[in-house]
Amino acid sequence: MPARNHKQWTAKPDLELGEWVDSRIYSDEEIFEEELEKLWKKSWIALCHESELPEPYDFRTAIIAREPIIIVRGPDNKIRAFLNVCPHRGMTIERRPSGSFAPAQPSGNPKHMTCLFHAWQFDMKGNCVDIPRQKEGYQDRLDKSSQGLRALRCEVKYGGFVWVCLDDHTEFNVETWTAGAMDCIKDSIDAEPLELIHYHKAIIDCNYKLWHDTNSEFYHDYMHYHNRITGFNDEYFQRECSAFDNGHVNVGTFTVNYEEYDVAEDRGTLSFPNLPPDNWYMVDMFPGLNFNLRGSVVRMDLMTPLSANQVMIEFRGFGLKSDSAEDRAHRIQHHNSIWGPLGRNLHEDLIGVAGQGVTMTPKSEPRRILHGRHEGAYIHDEIGMRHFYETWGKKMDRLPSDPEQKYRPGKVVGPEMPPAKGLSTFAGKVA
Amino acid sequence: MSAEEQHTKSLVRETIYAATVYLDDQRWNDWIDQCDEDFKYSVVTYSPEVRKDLSYLILSRKEMHPYFDLLPKHNSDHSPLRRHASIYTVDVSADGKTAEAVTSFIMTQEMIDGISAPLYAGENRLYLTGKYYDKFRINGESVKFTERVARVYTRRFDKGTHWVF
Ligand code: FES
Ligand SMILES: [Fe+2]
Repeated sequence: MPARNHKQWTAKPDLELGEWVDSRIYSDEEIFEEELEKLWKKSWIALCHESELPEPYDFRTAIIAREPIIIVRGPDNKIRAFLNVCPHRGMTIERRPSGSFAPAQPSGNPKHMTCLFHAWQFDMKGNCVDIPRQKEGYQDRLDKSSQGLRALRCEVKYGGFVWVCLDDHTEFNVETWTAGAMDCIKDSIDAEPLELIHYHKAIIDCNYKLWHDTNSEFYHDYMHYHNRITGFNDEYFQRECSAFDNGHVNVGTFTVNYEEYDVAEDRGTLSFPNLPPDNWYMVDMFPGLNFNLRGSVVRMDLMTPLSANQVMIEFRGFGLKSDSAEDRAHRIQHHNSIWGPLGRNLHEDLIGVAGQGVTMTPKSEPRRILHGRHEGAYIHDEIGMRHFYETWGKKMDRLPSDPEQKYRPGKVVGPEMPPAKGLSTFAGKVA
Repeated sequence: MSAEEQHTKSLVRETIYAATVYLDDQRWNDWIDQCDEDFKYSVVTYSPEVRKDLSYLILSRKEMHPYFDLLPKHNSDHSPLRRHASIYTVDVSADGKTAEAVTSFIMTQEMIDGISAPLYAGENRLYLTGKYYDKFRINGESVKFTERVARVYTRRFDKGTHWVF
């Protein structure tokens, strides 16, 4: 068909329900607000890693659905999470991204969280332990024992990640929330303690789901010279995508041929425990979190949605705490060559979603966004996105392909078929 | 300061500023030619977000050619990065064979991929701030880089990082 007029352009595609979505789900501000309430405030989100708070009194701050959160390690070594909000007049208790409450603050004692405004002080369990001149101002009407912080559900789970859920009454714990999606990497990341080796971030003018989509579809290998050259063999096309309850997806392993790429180092000898050399698993957790175990390094992307058309993505990398200095240096090198800010792939992915963000700004004309590829649930099948949007539809009670309608089930799984053959003749292979 | 030391210092300064021009103009081979065989390049930062020293890139002289040669095969942002550099200190060793320099720099991004062209095209944005910690080997009139540590004070990189710092 030649280029289309408006009617043709906005017509229903020749695909089945569930095989495309309406671009308004990436741009509508009302839908975005509803997502914060129905998805982000109900989900378990891994906000950081225990190695970011190695000592008692260490803290880390984060955001879920606009709610400021503080995570602290107590003198009992337990990690707890609270709203980072002072119960007095709503000041942010701690402004820094991370640090320690062990030393004194200008208006606070050592080993306390102190709100600098009027110096109310809290211990690491969130108890309010001091209200300056309480008796003089509140007489017997209000006691510090009633002024504790807002405690949040918090669990350290799967390789030491710190998960928080804003919903006190969630029916899930982290294990039931993840619903088996983490099983493929669990034995590797739980074998021994991990340690953070990388951090940087991006703020992109696009909806958070576009980044999540990019993480869950591999058809965009065509954007990455690195992927085409190190993958695209028969084995690669046998990587299976699996769907789990609550909208999670993972992508099975294969062996990466790093030697095909001129400046890549083989990662075999440093591969994670219980992982065959140079294997690669990917886990996409609903609604916006991703774990990626590529041989010798774990990457974790955390999305913090800022508006319908803006997301902060924090990129973390992890090695083993027991690493020698030399092994650590190699791991960092492996991480950076693809995923570091100067690496080969990450920057390309960011160009991709930034470009999508442009075409899907709030109030722009609704369009069809297709994810109808069926390839037997193998690597270039778009089943990951279809599964995500089915769950999205159910939880939002909206139809992803027409968000003004109520949810009804669409097609996720396609017909069975054998995996594609490796594309060894692809142009990218030619030097 | 002896006239000789004065002269060496000015050679070092010229070398740093020439490198700045080469990198700005993406003349990668001219930049690599300024580096001795044992040259090491790294980009490091301290992240208060995680309270750690981090390394973002390490390349040996040997790895530089393939790294830059592969660039055209990758998809990169078209917006060039340029430096504004000020050399703060140059210290020449007593025997005059090596030198170290500290250069403060900022990088700006000339927006070309203006999100949806030409929305931001034509404007400049501050991309990052940093300091170069350079080491040199001096042999008569020849000054070669033996090390460059680009210590950056930026941890947010949206796109554009294929054009190294
Ligand atoms: S607002 Fe925190 S002490 Fe007053
Ligand atoms: Fe990618």
